[in-house]
Amino acid sequence: MTTRATRAPRVRPERPAPTLRERLFGGGAAGEPSRFERALYHLVLIASCIVLVGPFLMVISASLKESGQLFEYPPRWLPFPPYLGQYEKLLTDSAFPRWMFNTLFVGTIVTVAKVFLDSMAGYAFAKLHFVGRNVFFLLMIAMLLVPYGAIILPLYTVSHALGIHDTYLALILPPLCNPLGVFLMRQVISMLPRDLENAARLDGVSEFGIYRRIVLPLIKPSLVVLAIITFTDMYMSFIWPLVAVRDTDLQVLTVGVASMRNMTSVNFSLWSAAAVLGMVPLALAFFLFQRQFQARSIAGALKQ
Amino acid sequence: MNPTDTSTATHPAAAQADLPYAIELVGVNKRYGALTVLEHVDLEIEPGEFVVLLGPSGCGKSTILKIIAGLEDASGGEVYIQDRLVNYVRPKDRDVSMVFQNYALYPHMTVAANIGFPLKMRKVARDVVAQRVTEVAALLELGQQLTKYPEQLSGGQRQRVALGRAIIRDPVAFLMDEPLSNLDAILRVQMRSELLQLHRRVGKTTIYVTHDQVEAMTMADRIVVLKDGAVQQIGTTREIYSRPANTFVATFVGSPQMNLLPGHIERRDGSVAFVGVVRIGLDAAPPVEDGTQVTLGIRPEDIRLRSAETPGADAVATVRLVEDVGAEDFVTVDIDGTRCVVRVAGHGSVSEGTTVALEIPRDVLHVFGADGTRMDPAP
Ligand SMILES: Nc1ncnc2c1ncn2[C@@H]1O[C@H](COP(=O)(O)OP(=O)(O)OP(=O)(O)O)[C@@H](O)[C@H]1O
Ligand SMILES: [Mg+2]
Repeated sequence: MTTRATRAPRVRPERPAPTLRERLFGGGAAGEPSRFERALYHLVLIASCIVLVGPFLMVISASLKESGQLFEYPPRWLPFPPYLGQYEKLLTDSAFPRWMFNTLFVGTIVTVAKVFLDSMAGYAFAKLHFVGRNVFFLLMIAMLLVPYGAIILPLYTVSHALGIHDTYLALILPPLCNPLGVFLMRQVISMLPRDLENAARLDGVSEFGIYRRIVLPLIKPSLVVLAIITFTDMYMSFIWPLVAVRDTDLQVLTVGVASMRNMTSVNFSLWSAAAVLGMVPLALAFFLFQRQFQARSIAGALKQ
Repeated sequence: MNPTDTSTATHPAAAQADLPYAIELVGVNKRYGALTVLEHVDLEIEPGEFVVLLGPSGCGKSTILKIIAGLEDASGGEVYIQDRLVNYVRPKDRDVSMVFQNYALYPHMTVAANIGFPLKMRKVARDVVAQRVTEVAALLELGQQLTKYPEQLSGGQRQRVALGRAIIRDPVAFLMDEPLSNLDAILRVQMRSELLQLHRRVGKTTIYVTHDQVEAMTMADRIVVLKDGAVQQIGTTREIYSRPANTFVATFVGSPQMNLLPGHIERRDGSVAFVGVVRIGLDAAPPVEDGTQVTLGIRPEDIRLRSAETPGADAVATVRLVEDVGAEDFVTVDIDGTRCVVRVAGHGSVSEGTTVALEIPRDVLHVFGADGTRMDPAP
């Protein structure tokens, strides 16, 4: 055994000279933002917040004014006392509640049906073997390539032929055919390890049971994403609902609000109030769904 | 009373012989496209037997288990469970339970739910499930983990959950795919004896996959040695070790490996000898002609090291390497350019670079033909 004294000395490199970044912004160990950098980040964040939130504030502010106050100079950001008459008018003396109901009704049905159908179709495409599986899947992908505008007219003709024109069905059925969800679900489900299903099969679970008890819980975050995409899509959709129904009782929010300018003269304050109220359910939906984003990581299923 | 009736009734062993095989594979093939993974596998497993499938990675061990469980279809051949053809029977109706090589725990269920799942799916009453889960968890030392999720467990704990999910049921057979491969050495030995005790207690037919020969040899009633999807040999630990069917089995089982010396058979004046780097007379001569190319196999522990001057030694060799493994030394010697490993009890009896003599007893030799199959006559 050599003792410490007889061995060669240890190699002890100097601490490296500070880089330009460190000299300019301070900060020490790798990756730690300095106080200056942090301030910079916040500045950028605050600026973008103003740009993004500003228009919302303007709409909210407009909705709280009488139409006469709208073009006052200098403009008042927060009218005091706020004028709630526009909201009152919307809720009691317009078709707004009906439009809102239609949008939520159609949106909810389509979302629920789509999450269910797309995940089942995705499971079949990902895990089951059947004749024509790849052909069907390619056909579905091909549908993604067709621009929406190109199928509006055929859709209109078909809905007439089916006799569902001017009914809720005309609003509900066509969006169900959007293949994006099936594609998404197939990708997610095919990532699940095969032995997980195998274990379930041996444990006595039926094929549908595997879908319901194993697959669904594990892809919950993706289901939530799909639900949010579908619901917002439905909430915002304008062209097809405009074409599909004429009956004012069946009109959805987007179409209804757009038609408000024909009702009387254009009342921008009333319009703003409709926009604000229209945002509420979507915001609520986001907050409710947000917590569902987490699911158990599938990391625990397998060996390392 | 009929005397044969009494004999079968009074002798459990005899009664056992009349029972159907727990599991039987007849000429099972498996192909993935052009790739042949299993080649005509025949296997008969007695009720209560503990059979180990042993073989290198990729030889088809997991595939055999999956075919028995019904998770993969055989491309050809028949699978019987208790004399019932199950080729077209669904996995859940085959009544076997399996520990998967990669655990396959349900990530969204607690440990308790994972272990109890097979019973729950079979509509067993809730309180019975809870009680069985507690028992199994106690057996596997998982009592503290029951409310955790798989991602919160260590590898060894996951493995035990996978075991628990398999043994909570009462199936015809357990299929275990390397169930101890991820445990540390101590837990592994402990679980090995736990599993064996469990097996002795319940006497459940078990097919156990491993590529660890020590595990195979200590646990198995019979070992099935596989290579490239083909069965090489089936036998007890003793049979496999002392009469390997071919050079693959000979070198795959046993550590360090059996020494293989190339050479040929010499028949002269009624006596038969192996001639290669050493010349050794053979007592039990294989029925082959003079000059046939053969391989002589000698286990490292069967060779004796003597001092260089010992008269009548079989060979003289130079010591190249001495590996101290604690209770014994593995000594690598060089006989005219051919390396041979010798196990020597104790430590320090030889040192590297010295010359030694080798003594090779005649009753421990293995003779393999040019194609690698064993050729000495049965004793
Ligand atoms: N789905 C599949 N498609 C194509 N080849 C496959 C498939 N599954 C397994 N194989 C091949 O079959 C062979 C046997 O695989 P198997 O999983 O049975 O090996 P194993 O003996 O269990 O190996 P290990 O000890 O590494 O687990 C391997 O060569 C593997 O590549
Ligand atoms: Mg395997």
